[in-house]
Amino acid sequence: MPELALLQAAADTAGAYGHFPGIGARAAVWIAAEVHLMFAAFVLGVPMFAVITELIGIVGKDEKYDKLSKEFTRLLVFAYSATALWGGLLLFLITTLYPRFWGHMSQIFSLSMWVYAGLFFIESFTLYLYYYGWDRWKVGRAKWGHWGLGLLLNVWGTIVMLIANSWLTYMMSPPAGVTAETIPSSIPLWDAIANATWMPINIHRLIANAVFGGAIVAAYAAFRFLAAKSDEERAHYDWMGYVGNFIAIATFIVLPFAGYWLGREIYEFNQQMGITMMGGFMSWLWIVQAVLIGVLFLAANYYLWLGMGRIPGAERFRRYTKWMLLLLVICWIVWGTPHTMIANRAELVAMGGSHHPFLNVLGVMSAKNTAVNLMILTTFLSFLMYRRANKRPTVSWAKAGTMAQGALFALAAATVLFYGVYGYFVEAIVRIGFSVYQVAAVLACIIGVTVIDLLLARGAESRGAIRWGQMPERSQYALFVLAVTFTWLMGLMGFARSGIRQHWHVWEVMRDTSVDAATPALGYAANIISTCVLIFLGLVAFIFWLGGLAERGLHKAAGKPAATR
Amino acid sequence: MWKVNLKVLMLTLAIVGFYTMIAHSIPQLESEVPEDLDLGGEVTPDALVAAGERVYNGAGGCVACHGLGARAPNLLTDHAGEGAIGARCGAREAGKDCKAYLWEALTTPGAYVVAGFDNIMPDMRRSLPVDQVWAVIAYLQAQGGEVTVTAADLPAAPSAAASAATGPPRSTTTDPRRLLAENGCLGCHAIDGAGPPIGPSFDGMGARLSAERIRSGILDPNADTAAGFAQFAGVMPATFGDQLSAAQLEAVVRFLAGRR
Repeated sequence: MPELALLQAAADTAGAYGHFPGIGARAAVWIAAEVHLMFAAFVLGVPMFAVITELIGIVGKDEKYDKLSKEFTRLLVFAYSATALWGGLLLFLITTLYPRFWGHMSQIFSLSMWVYAGLFFIESFTLYLYYYGWDRWKVGRAKWGHWGLGLLLNVWGTIVMLIANSWLTYMMSPPAGVTAETIPSSIPLWDAIANATWMPINIHRLIANAVFGGAIVAAYAAFRFLAAKSDEERAHYDWMGYVGNFIAIATFIVLPFAGYWLGREIYEFNQQMGITMMGGFMSWLWIVQAVLIGVLFLAANYYLWLGMGRIPGAERFRRYTKWMLLLLVICWIVWGTPHTMIANRAELVAMGGSHHPFLNVLGVMSAKNTAVNLMILTTFLSFLMYRRANKRPTVSWAKAGTMAQGALFALAAATVLFYGVYGYFVEAIVRIGFSVYQVAAVLACIIGVTVIDLLLARGAESRGAIRWGQMPERSQYALFVLAVTFTWLMGLMGFARSGIRQHWHVWEVMRDTSVDAATPALGYAANIISTCVLIFLGLVAFIFWLGGLAERGLHKAAGKPAATR
Repeated sequence: MWKVNLKVLMLTLAIVGFYTMIAHSIPQLESEVPEDLDLGGEVTPDALVAAGERVYNGAGGCVACHGLGARAPNLLTDHAGEGAIGARCGAREAGKDCKAYLWEALTTPGAYVVAGFDNIMPDMRRSLPVDQVWAVIAYLQAQGGEVTVTAADLPAAPSAAASAATGPPRSTTTDPRRLLAENGCLGCHAIDGAGPPIGPSFDGMGARLSAERIRSGILDPNADTAAGFAQFAGVMPATFGDQLSAAQLEAVVRFLAGRR
């Protein structure tokens, strides 16, 4: 019997894996998958707000939004090719380097793979019609038809994403009853698709794509702003950068809630997997994540504060910014405090117990949830000040409305703090439930304050127009910081999602028996993530340059300088 | 223009470098793969304890919960003043000695959940070979108690042990695909284009062999070796005549003969 077991193991491994020179099979597939995903997120995220800004342009009869939407879409045309190229590369790498795994997956998902490829064609043609038909279908009912194409583009893109998500979530959470002995072709397709983590990932990615698309578009605008040769051009790209950043930050604020849901579903699917993710060998990953998200909050607020410099009336809010900065930094430090770590016997003895005496206080979820919710509230307050800066409400209840807004902020902050402190005095299972109250308080505040603000703004007097373009250059570098950080964060979260499977291609169904079966440490992962980020941003820069070339060509043909918009 | 390009490039490199540096400056923990430990028939209790310690701190992933004592009882130092696990395991459940209790705790953990904790532990046989589960038990016994796990507890081979330990009743199914899976046929024979090439592929077997030849090949596999598989001669067990009922054998034969 041992000989049989050995032979079986040998045969199982032989031919199951290919070799990639230099960096190895895992790194090759990792890079191809991650860069493909970054482009995919971009081409799925940008159409969402291209179609929204086009709608604003149609309804508000404001051509500025229509131009912005078209500019977004021009970037898409180039990015789409890059997405497909990296997707093709990924496919060839998986089939040649992981043929046994590919055999398993294709036996289950062959039908959805064909549908996926078909939809890719349809999506491509819809995009081409949408972009190249822009000036053709410009007015009246034709314009609405054109907008419908944009909507369809989103529908196809979302379905494509849902299909691809089903493959990777099957690897994380295969249906109950599927074991190593199950013949793959006997697994019902829908059971494999509608697995435990499919919908949470779908929602999380949908939001994350909008965040990512907004951040990259803002970076594009920042680059064009810095390279602008006229005030008019600078004003346009200042405005575009603001819109991109607004979309990125507004959607980013709801992303943690989708993340909570995903995390809960992972725990419900398999406690061991959840614990590996949050408290096992990946526990330090969340500290790195906290560093990145702290940078995002700081950069986003910094951009808004600088932006207030070009808004008449914003001076009255300036004195608050230093306190908001202080609060953000304190919350950042708390959020970045480690708590749950793997500790061996020697380390436990050295610490004098299961937990570090100091980190034990700040590194717990009560403190972290409180910190992140306060950071969200602070960022929302920055945005509110930015929005209110040049407005003087004229409604009779203006003062009461502003006080109500202040009360909502105070109530939300008090709720967050109360449950944050109370969490130290209750058991873990009760404490986990407190995060729901904290999140609900913050969301209620955001919704309530926004509604009041919209009503307050009705008929409000202007303290002066926003001086678009009169932005210090360092504000544009803040947008670059945001884009690079979002990209890196996406790579990190991809590692977290994929890494929690550890030495399984398909969790507890198909083991990874390759030389790369061990999930690497964060240092190695960071090297790969940084490589992916640099490849992606390098190619995006090339695409932006191409976009500029095309634009110059168009303007030349029209007989006007590119700078005049 | 080039100045802007250069600034953007430098900023990007600085940010990426900063995050990479942060990731390198924290503890570098790698998720280990369950390794093949040398736990032959002559293994000593000390060797079992040493192997168990490696599994406990490594591939077993035990410390993720038990190392903290927050999600699961601390096993190595103390829990509720009862001492380390080796000292308290014999008194946990009435009628169960330490070894039996620990085996139950690692293989059917939901059977007895320590008060104050959730039923979150998986059956460790899903992620570890059975001999490594026994090694972990030996290591846990060594934490303040007497090691009673011996080489005799270890199964002869992982697959046999797994089935013996789980103790499943013999399958009564006549679904040929399930039978092929349950009897380990797919460990050597490919089907639907996938699987290891130790024995002839089941795909197209009906076109190559008659039903009679397939039946005799299952019942007396070493009488004749398929062309191209001489190096694996003698590998296929000659026990399927005992393992399968007549109906099951015929279901498999008909299924394979029909695969043209």
